[in-house]
Amino acid sequence: MQAWNKLSRMPAPAIKKMQDELFTKMLREELAVRHPYYREVFKEHDINPDLIKGLEDIKHLPFTEKKDLLPRENDLRHPKKFVLEVPSEGEKKGKKKGFALFGKKDKGPDPSDYKFHTLYFSAGRTGKPVPFEYTHYDLRNLKEAGLRAFDILGLTRDDTMINAFTYAPNAFFWQMFYSTIETGSTALQTGGGKVLGMEKILKAMDNMEAPVFVCAPGYTIFALQTLDHFGFSAENLERVVLGIDYAPMEAVEKARKMMEAVGAKDTKVQRLYFIAEAKSGWAECDPDYGYHTNPDHIYVEIVDPESGAVLDEGEKGEVVITHLDTRGTVLLRCKTGDIATGGLVTEPCPNCKRTVPRIMGDIERKAYYYELHSNEGPVQFNANQLRKMMTARDDVLLWYAEINRDRGLDNLNLVVKGTSGTDEDTLLKALAEELQKEFSVPANVESASLDAVVNKIGLEKYITAQLIFDNRDL
Amino acid sequence: MEKWEKLSRMPYKQIKELQDKKLRAFMANQIYLYSPYYSNLLKELKIDPLKIKSIDDLRHLPFTYKWDIAPTDEEPQKAKDFIIRPDEEVTEKYGHLAKMSMTSGKAAVEEKIYDFKPVHIHFTTGRTAMPTPFVYSKRDLDHIREAGYRLLDVFEVTTDDIVVNCFPFAPHLAFWQTFFAGEKMDVANFHSGGGKIVGTKNLMDAFEYLRPTVAVFIPGYCYYFLREAVKQGRDFSSIKKIFFGGERVPPGLKDKIKELFKQLGAEEVMVLATYGMTEAKVAWPECPSHEEYHGYHLYPDLEIFETVDPESGESVGEGEEGEIVYTSIDWRGTAVLRYRTGDIAKGGLMLEPCPNCGRTVPRISSNIQRKSELKEFSMTKVKGTLINLNNFFPLMMGHPDIEEWQVEMRKRNDDPYDMDEIYLYVAPKENVDREKLAADLKQKVLRDTEVSLTDIIFKTVPEVVSQLGMETELKEKRILDNRPN
Repeated sequence: MQAWNKLSRMPAPAIKKMQDELFTKMLREELAVRHPYYREVFKEHDINPDLIKGLEDIKHLPFTEKKDLLPRENDLRHPKKFVLEVPSEGEKKGKKKGFALFGKKDKGPDPSDYKFHTLYFSAGRTGKPVPFEYTHYDLRNLKEAGLRAFDILGLTRDDTMINAFTYAPNAFFWQMFYSTIETGSTALQTGGGKVLGMEKILKAMDNMEAPVFVCAPGYTIFALQTLDHFGFSAENLERVVLGIDYAPMEAVEKARKMMEAVGAKDTKVQRLYFIAEAKSGWAECDPDYGYHTNPDHIYVEIVDPESGAVLDEGEKGEVVITHLDTRGTVLLRCKTGDIATGGLVTEPCPNCKRTVPRIMGDIERKAYYYELHSNEGPVQFNANQLRKMMTARDDVLLWYAEINRDRGLDNLNLVVKGTSGTDEDTLLKALAEELQKEFSVPANVESASLDAVVNKIGLEKYITAQLIFDNRDL
Repeated sequence: MEKWEKLSRMPYKQIKELQDKKLRAFMANQIYLYSPYYSNLLKELKIDPLKIKSIDDLRHLPFTYKWDIAPTDEEPQKAKDFIIRPDEEVTEKYGHLAKMSMTSGKAAVEEKIYDFKPVHIHFTTGRTAMPTPFVYSKRDLDHIREAGYRLLDVFEVTTDDIVVNCFPFAPHLAFWQTFFAGEKMDVANFHSGGGKIVGTKNLMDAFEYLRPTVAVFIPGYCYYFLREAVKQGRDFSSIKKIFFGGERVPPGLKDKIKELFKQLGAEEVMVLATYGMTEAKVAWPECPSHEEYHGYHLYPDLEIFETVDPESGESVGEGEEGEIVYTSIDWRGTAVLRYRTGDIAKGGLMLEPCPNCGRTVPRISSNIQRKSELKEFSMTKVKGTLINLNNFFPLMMGHPDIEEWQVEMRKRNDDPYDMDEIYLYVAPKENVDREKLAADLKQKVLRDTEVSLTDIIFKTVPEVVSQLGMETELKEKRILDNRPN
């Protein structure tokens, strides 16, 4: 990866040129030579990597889907097909003599860059977890991505933070860990509610007088709402960094409001966006300015989720990533299943002036777009919107929704637990009305006990709470 | 820190000189100046820190007990006083660093102070006391990395190995010592977070995907994991070594584990043990041997181990049974002096070179009555007799007819004033004569723990596994004290 202070101020055409070079190099020197899966794909589709001149030709290459990556029932080692083979020692060339002084030194691939070092999995929110192999080279990149994220967030070694991201062998936990270790800030790696439970996390925040809290949005809001119940203080809290789950602006606003309500010193809220397939995550300098990507590591395209056509700047579409500078598991045009509602922009950030491409808007999950059967035929239901709507409400503590099918017709069942002091009947009525207005789906609203909702959504059981249950036998 | 290759071959005399020197410097330059708890204590007891010149002078210092450090509701910040920290509060009184700013400038002082800044935290897992934080500075992280390197060196792990860390993820020493060891040794790894985090099936899949050569486990979970793997016909033939931590490993369990690995295709798996404690901020390796126990190799440039009579507190001789007392001599962050661990080393402390590997660093006997989760009530008053619950472990873990087990203490009729009762839940192996097993267990439990069981209740393996919380708890609940207070 490049020097960040230089890269983050590089003009867009220079970034594009650098990406072209990295891309063709990756294609010709890595994928075509030592990538078992793409080598086969290129042969199958009759693709000559030498004829791909740059990123403008990327549209001729096929997409990689999550199902391509998954381990097979009878072949658990199938994902190894996406891992670069270790080059032989013979490929490592000696230092070029003579004219190399005037040109770039080409030492050839170093086998140690390709040797397996560690394994992280995708979060497996929507299915089976996929293994991603990291070599030393990738670990250096992950640490660099962590340092850049902290630079964008403005976190330094003087900060003290509680990392409440759920522990899993995932890039998002480890990037956050390496950010703190490499920066040298004080951090308690709690492992999240699943490991320590809410009471201990809040107690640690109070005892350590930690100004920074790093956590998934839903758990953050719930934690701040229950702070009083446990009798802890968050008066030293200044900043919350949201990540690992859907964090629309409504969640940012709600977190701010909650921080204010618990008497936090300041109410700064920032966001991180991790993609397991990108083997790293990106930060946003301030809410709504977009996630600042690392263009020397990953090339991002935004495509139409159906047709696969590449979309223009700022258009809503699916995030597709291509590795430009990775080893271990390497992916080309991988469809992530994430929809960036504000697309991709390449003009400099109006807030921090960094020039790297930014992914804008909320990151919706494609898996949460449902087609429901109603009396009037098929109806589109975007459960991301429902999550947004529920997050914005001050009278809802926890909730989940089920999609059920009854005699061929689908309906939505919304189960809620209101915040203390909320009149249940009024809440249910208001929700029914709002649902009717926002979604043309037959819906029922009911209330449930706190324990029932906590257990159902797996608040401290899964990496992030599960809020939408599709009970239809499709 | 010293270079391990040199330190581990140094004659003991030289090691002791090194320890004395480090102790002197640590007392005068760190503890007395920057440790709020100890500097107050030394003043209160009128102990001149400069008079602590060697290991032999340690006896002039009082012991530190768990309750001196553990936070309470009244004093939640107690543990903070054990952190070596030249921050404003402390340096106001001892402004040595402030003077530095006159010669080297403010930036130099800031850098110096940053060296002490806690960056990483572990908690104790105690049940009777509140979890106590032990913090690491950046310099301390280099120490835990080096300790990990030494551990892997003793275990003869190389950069060709692939290590799977199956310790449950938590801000606890076991998981992180394994992580930092891998980092320093630069060995390929997978830090799974254990069955609770990734699920037992996914963990098995990861084994088959990665084909690791080394796995690191808590013994109880390992035994369960391997039995499940055998049932599913998994292939773990790549495994060469397995390390345990977190609990004692009874010899009988070692045999069972080896046998299970054989069924999974791995012949001659080396079963290795570690001993660690949050208070010492590192873990130590047992010298690898298939037959004999040669003790755990210590790191004499980081700590001093003493063994004392648990009653009188007097030092016991070399090789004599005694309670392990731990003293830090080269740490920042949290540091404790003469900490009473509550762990009894049956074979005491050994100072002669290891007969197995020839390393010269002091060793602590392999036979340690571990505190782990049981120590807090290990000498619990049940039926008016003090019983040592530790003794259930070798007996039950090593019993050839038992798959899983749990001990539960209750009060008769759940009445706090009534008699104590002690129940043993047992999931026997298939085709075992239950009557015979029950009679055998009653007699052996009486022999080893001096208590008569109220009853033995036979259950299925899944029932006991679920009672133990094998896949849901950080550590399985092997001994339950359900007596109302």
